[in-house]
Amino acid sequence: MRQVKSMKDTIWKRHSLAVSTEYTQANFTWVLSLVLTVIFLWNSISFKTGDVHPVVFGLFCVWAVTTVFQVCITRKMKKDLLQTGVIQPGTRHLGYVQLVGLLAGNIFAGAFAFNLVNAKKSVEYTFAVYTLLTQLAVLAISSVNLFKPYVSDTFLPSMGTLLLIGLFYLVVLILIVLHVHEYEAPRWMTWVALLLLATAVSGNLFALLLGWSLLMKTRSSDHSRMLKWNVTWEKITRNSTAMLGMFFILLMLAISITSRFTFDYALAVENNYSAILQPPSAAYPFGTDNFGRDVFSRIVFGARISLLVGLAATIVPGVIGGFLGAIAGYYSNHVDNWIMRLLDILYSIPGILLAIAIIAAFGANTVNLIIALSVGAIPTYARTMRANVLMVSNYDFVDSAKALGESDFAILFKQVVPNSLAPMIVKSTLTIGGAVIATSSLSYLGLGVEPHIPEWGNILKVGSSYLETNSYLAIFPGLAIILLVLSFNFLGDGLRDALDPKLD
Amino acid sequence: MSHKAASFFGHSFRKASGRTAYQVLLLLAGLPLHLFTYFSYIRNGRDRQYTSMLNSVQSGLADRGQKEKWLEEYKDQLERKQKFFRENVSPADIHREAEKLADEKLSAESKRISEMRLEQTGQKKETYFSYFQSLLQKPAFLVVSFIPGFFMYVLLFLMSNPFILYIAERLVQSVGVIIGVAVLVFTILYISPFDPATNILGESATQEQISNFNRLHGLDLSYWQQLWNALKGIATFDLGSSFAGNEDVAASISNKFPVTLTIALFSVIMAIVIAIPVGILSATRPNSFLDYSFMFIALIGLSIPNFWQGLIFILGFSIHLNWLPATYSPGHALSLIMPVVVLGTALTASIARMMRSSLLEIINEDYIITARAKGLSYAQTLWRHAIGNAMIPVVTVIGLLFGGMLGGAAVTEKVFNIRGIGSYIVDKQFIPDIPAIMGGVVYIAITISLVNLLIDILYALLDPRIRSKIDHS
Repeated sequence: MRQVKSMKDTIWKRHSLAVSTEYTQANFTWVLSLVLTVIFLWNSISFKTGDVHPVVFGLFCVWAVTTVFQVCITRKMKKDLLQTGVIQPGTRHLGYVQLVGLLAGNIFAGAFAFNLVNAKKSVEYTFAVYTLLTQLAVLAISSVNLFKPYVSDTFLPSMGTLLLIGLFYLVVLILIVLHVHEYEAPRWMTWVALLLLATAVSGNLFALLLGWSLLMKTRSSDHSRMLKWNVTWEKITRNSTAMLGMFFILLMLAISITSRFTFDYALAVENNYSAILQPPSAAYPFGTDNFGRDVFSRIVFGARISLLVGLAATIVPGVIGGFLGAIAGYYSNHVDNWIMRLLDILYSIPGILLAIAIIAAFGANTVNLIIALSVGAIPTYARTMRANVLMVSNYDFVDSAKALGESDFAILFKQVVPNSLAPMIVKSTLTIGGAVIATSSLSYLGLGVEPHIPEWGNILKVGSSYLETNSYLAIFPGLAIILLVLSFNFLGDGLRDALDPKLD
Repeated sequence: MSHKAASFFGHSFRKASGRTAYQVLLLLAGLPLHLFTYFSYIRNGRDRQYTSMLNSVQSGLADRGQKEKWLEEYKDQLERKQKFFRENVSPADIHREAEKLADEKLSAESKRISEMRLEQTGQKKETYFSYFQSLLQKPAFLVVSFIPGFFMYVLLFLMSNPFILYIAERLVQSVGVIIGVAVLVFTILYISPFDPATNILGESATQEQISNFNRLHGLDLSYWQQLWNALKGIATFDLGSSFAGNEDVAASISNKFPVTLTIALFSVIMAIVIAIPVGILSATRPNSFLDYSFMFIALIGLSIPNFWQGLIFILGFSIHLNWLPATYSPGHALSLIMPVVVLGTALTASIARMMRSSLLEIINEDYIITARAKGLSYAQTLWRHAIGNAMIPVVTVIGLLFGGMLGGAAVTEKVFNIRGIGSYIVDKQFIPDIPAIMGGVVYIAITISLVNLLIDILYALLDPRIRSKIDHS
């Protein structure tokens, strides 16, 4: 009898190890930290001369320490889970030490530590943590300008504002830990929420999410709506890769808005013949190109274009394709056949080729690029929407709307379409990455954004001609593209897991 | 024998005449025969009986005041509905609406009654098609009409086989899509605000030179004439000469196409060889460290832009290590490696992800549990029941992605300096060289359509589910 009980106990503990999302995140964090540590080590030593690069080597040492500490925490968590089935408070307190890793820029360890120290996490807590992290990252990236020979006039006031906002976020985080519970928040939090919504203007969309979520909890008594919101976001926030992706995308967004005030556009576009093809240094973190332009500033300003074109080339075909697909799926066979056969024509031309043909006809500039990429993407969205509308229009609530005498058009756009949006959101998140790649590819071919605008593909095009001598010119913009696309793919995968009803 | 044939054709005819497009085709194929039989159909005039029956029934119904009764009923219904929804509708509107509904009911009802009566007396309402079908059932008619209606019989024979019908439908669809592609691309290039003549001859060209150039390349013709010439050119592999350099477009395309196709083909092979085992390994150990690492690498593979990967490969393997040549040269096998890997990376990643999710879905199906319950080992269920079925959506995806790969080849070709069709189109787009761009894009679209057509037909032959769906349609 006792044996059976202890066996059950062991199984339960093993199970708690397997389902613990914190333990999964701990593993994920140390693996990623280790990979980056190795990359730092690799780059700190020059193999030809045997010299050691002091800054990079220092980075490697700090990262190595955080990685080792992370491994220790992970092992302790495993022990806790196997022995007692829960993570002990002592282990959780180690998270406060790991928070120091943020100083070295180890964002993975920082996010993990915030996650670890709080045992009962509300959705708001996660949002507040990422709001703060985003603000810190924006500040860190902007403060690179301090090493420049000169900064823009708006640099100091805007940095001050950003710092104040960052402090405010820290206060909000503490308030949330103290006062906010799963389904309720004190009434006075409304003002905090409104302030958060106001600060979201600086591009930190996590603040927008947090403000909205708080506002809902303080004002609304609709329990089912809150439950739905909580369940959806809990699924996403549990997924550390999805959150990492979302963090990077929103960071890029915040940077592209704040860079207007904290970065000097002249450094990115104006020629400076006294600083041609400089290797990476404190003043020029990613070096300078053949016209003496600062590659770091160029990449920061390039994020704007990539996000803009990527989003536009997703929203435009999403709306057009979604509309056509909805009509094809809801109305008669004839309409369906006509629309889908016509879209088949578009579908059979590879997107890049169609874009090249359209740009050949109308010239290379940003607007034409968006149009060219949009046209080719319409059929994909139309197919997704059509399949969902076909499914949703068989549901009972559509029948009851019909029985109440609603017109077909109203049923389609008030009942059917809102209920078939989830797969469209997933699909578009996954295809934004493709649009970003297509944008930079076309720019690389000279068919995309105008060559004088700092865009990642354009920067790479310049870099490709200095591959032998100044390879960093081609490496850094490429890394930026990969990170952004990877983030969209991570987020898309996470959204699919959270929104796809098939998995429930 | 002839009885069998007659009932065979009759059956096939009945099935085919359900769809308007097939009716038209059958009428066209057997036109001389149909002229003759239609004449006899009119002469026979058994249909007139139906019309008179219909009239008598209708007047009978009207005499009995049936229509007024329906009218009252509908009025009552409409008024209740209006009360329920609290709508404001004038009585005149209601009356009109009710009148309409009553009229519809009257005609529908009289049709139903007269058809029922005809059936009771052993006659059917006769259309031309049912008349023709009854003729087809007679062996004598078959023998007499075999020569004039030969084409129609061939068509009927083909239509009787659901596979041939399916393949024919897919073929017609592909041809339609290809024509659509050609029209679309031509129209896009036609409405371009650029003028190739001034681009090639320079700003200083005289009006006469420009009009000469336009006449030479047929640019002075109307839109429809140019479109017709372009379509004809694509069908006959004669696209004329390119605007710049005056080279034969079809010949240059046929020179460059094999290069692109070879690289693409090797990439697909590489992708399949790597991705399928990776997908199977991941799916059989879900959420393990191996699975996470494979899927992480696959996601990175999906996120790398082709041209950047190409540049990094050149930097690493050509400049630093000096293992592989940086540019492609025909006949040099080593120079093929980097382009193939670069072009195939995204495909490999997609297939591996697809294979994993598809296999995971199938492993959790009931029939796999049944197979396990019956005593098959894990490996047996996996290899005999799961993997084959999991491959079905994967092959479709390979077909679809192959198209994207041919399109994306332009970037890879530019990086490695390969003279393929993709870089040809990119080089020609600055002018814009209409025949060259159009030929390149349309022939790529044709290749993609053919590949997808082939895959669909293979499915029709191999997948029992699709087979039964075709049989029952």
